[in-house]
Amino acid sequence: MSPDKILIILQREYMTRVRTKAFVISTILAPVFILALIAIPILLASLETDRPRVIGVVDETGSLHARLDAIAAGRYRALPPAPTDTLRAMVLDGRIDGYLILTEAHLTGNHDIEYLSGGTGGLGLMSDIGQDVRSAIRDERLSRAQVSDAVKEILAQRPSLVSRKITQTGEEESDTLALFIVGYVMCFIIYGAMFGYGAIIMRSVIEEKTSRIIEVVTSSARPFELLMGKVLGVGAVGLTQFSIWALSSSAILAGAGLFMAAGSPAGMDDPAMAAATAEAGFTIPTIGAGLYVAFVFFFLMGYLIYSALFAAVGSAADNETDTQQLMLPISLPIIIPIMLVGPVASDPHSTLAVVASIIPFFAPMLMPLRLAMTDVPLWELGAAVLLMAGAFVGLIWLSARIYRVGILMYGKKASFAEMAKWIRYS
Amino acid sequence: MSVVEVNGVTKRFGEFTAVDRVSFTVEPGRIFGILGPNGAGKTTTIRMMNHITIPDEGEIRIQGVRVGPETQPRIGYLPEERGLYRKMKVGEHLVYLARLKGMSPETAKAALRYWLERFEAIDWIKKEVGELSKGMQQKIQFIATVAHDPDLYIFDEPFSGLDPINSELLKEVILELKSKGKTILFSTHRMEQVEQMCDDIVLYNQGRTILTGSVNDIKRSFGKNTVVLEFDGDASFLDTVPGIRFNNRSNRFAEFTLEDDSQTRHILAQALETLDVHRFERVFPSLHEIFIQSVKKDRSHVSG
Repeated sequence: MSPDKILIILQREYMTRVRTKAFVISTILAPVFILALIAIPILLASLETDRPRVIGVVDETGSLHARLDAIAAGRYRALPPAPTDTLRAMVLDGRIDGYLILTEAHLTGNHDIEYLSGGTGGLGLMSDIGQDVRSAIRDERLSRAQVSDAVKEILAQRPSLVSRKITQTGEEESDTLALFIVGYVMCFIIYGAMFGYGAIIMRSVIEEKTSRIIEVVTSSARPFELLMGKVLGVGAVGLTQFSIWALSSSAILAGAGLFMAAGSPAGMDDPAMAAATAEAGFTIPTIGAGLYVAFVFFFLMGYLIYSALFAAVGSAADNETDTQQLMLPISLPIIIPIMLVGPVASDPHSTLAVVASIIPFFAPMLMPLRLAMTDVPLWELGAAVLLMAGAFVGLIWLSARIYRVGILMYGKKASFAEMAKWIRYS
Repeated sequence: MSVVEVNGVTKRFGEFTAVDRVSFTVEPGRIFGILGPNGAGKTTTIRMMNHITIPDEGEIRIQGVRVGPETQPRIGYLPEERGLYRKMKVGEHLVYLARLKGMSPETAKAALRYWLERFEAIDWIKKEVGELSKGMQQKIQFIATVAHDPDLYIFDEPFSGLDPINSELLKEVILELKSKGKTILFSTHRMEQVEQMCDDIVLYNQGRTILTGSVNDIKRSFGKNTVVLEFDGDASFLDTVPGIRFNNRSNRFAEFTLEDDSQTRHILAQALETLDVHRFERVFPSLHEIFIQSVKKDRSHVSG
């Protein structure tokens, strides 16, 4: 193996990619796209003046409508008792969106409440109505039972769980949900990047086969060197791209912070903002430098392992359509950790979580998640890193064997049996 | 010392034996032709020389060194399936390939300048490969093969797909390389090129070599049983000669091979009687003829 050749190949892969229009465009457009993805729903939600729904209430109890109106003013319109046909007609005319008939029975027994409408009006509305009616009924029953205010207060209480982590230096804020979200986001960035850059590797290998350059290159360099150079080169491209994004986004954030500080003297005391933060249920936790380093490291390892797998698929296939059947077995190891995110997050120290986060194919996604949420013992980290490094070199070696034979068999479709043979041949 | 030594090399792909116990040597300063029908094992042998595939049995030595990463830079290899990175600039592409062959960027640039000028291609240096015509790409591919100035050149079907002008240019360069003492090995189907250029040949059939040696020796061993006849008149009597096989025939010319040498005298007598004979000559058989005869004989030998 010659490091010089790997370096020459790496340089070519890097330079030819970074200079393309595709690189410039995707580097600029990806953040714009992600911003749009976040901003558009918010914009739409704020622009769209929600047409208030009007729900007719035939109140036979004489008290529930007043309570409903107190909970959500204007949503519930009292209707005089009327035959069902009349109520139906009102819904069909569009005078009301739907109606409820509330009877004494609802206040004495555990009866379901029927909501009849021209269309359900969405999950949000349904859960709103359900909550409104439930609390109206509960309050009415409590007051009829002449329960003391002290008891009402007890029932109204919803104490929340605040967790604090004990460290050597004292206590620190630890919001498990927020940490989970940080870990989850990292997990998905790694997942997306592995598919994205992996596909680039695969296409690049196939392109070299279809353009027939491959024989010229393999008469000068070993397939191992070629694949290694290619994987590292594209990895360097990805790193460049992520650095640009990280730098530009932190610049934008800093700029936005300055702008906000200058624009509103009230600054962060904005009550609307405080309310929004409180409603969201968590504050954005400060991410430690260590976690950043771990994230970047596992990101790179994940990229290397999966790009080696994608390279193997590219080596075995003749064109991109051929890759379909080969993609399934390599998609599985990427999808399994995504399915394990839930169990691992709910108990980051379970045997399942420990084992899964050490397996090389899963570690790139699950280990950062665990690291974000809890302290991972050093030996587990070490084992994961060693296994990932071993898996990477082994996979590149395996891909190179498939490559050596696969490249020279134009037009021959690779079954798994065939690939196993190729590994033995070369 | 031989430039290439192929010693008992076998290469199998599963059940199929592509190359079967093949041995031959290529001597320095010679032009060596690898001939044979399609699928006879020529390309597989050439790939093993370039360390692209590895023999199952036997070994190949280049200048006495067993084939491996260190012999690769000693060879200039032009594969049958040609290709370049379409998105790269001509100059950068050539420097890249030369560096993979172990040249420094500076020496590579100097060498490439010489060859680009030699092929009147210096103006393309900043162009993308994909922008060039097919003929131009072939020139670039050829430059990529020779730029690192190796001692041994291996060309797999170098003339296939070349237009007549590039074909002539390639022939010229091959002869020029030979005059500098380089060794050239190429495979081809085109017998007239072998006839014009090759010093030695090996003939493949079904993975085995059925003939090796210098072109002259091989021709001599086949004897002078081929006749060239130029004439005016009606030569239809030739059709009645038993065991005659025409290699070439028109209404004033015939080249044929006789199974039985003793018939030559009889044919000459008849020709003088019925035709106006301009030329009647016994010659060595053409390589084309030798090729067909040998392959046919080998096939009947294998099947019988």
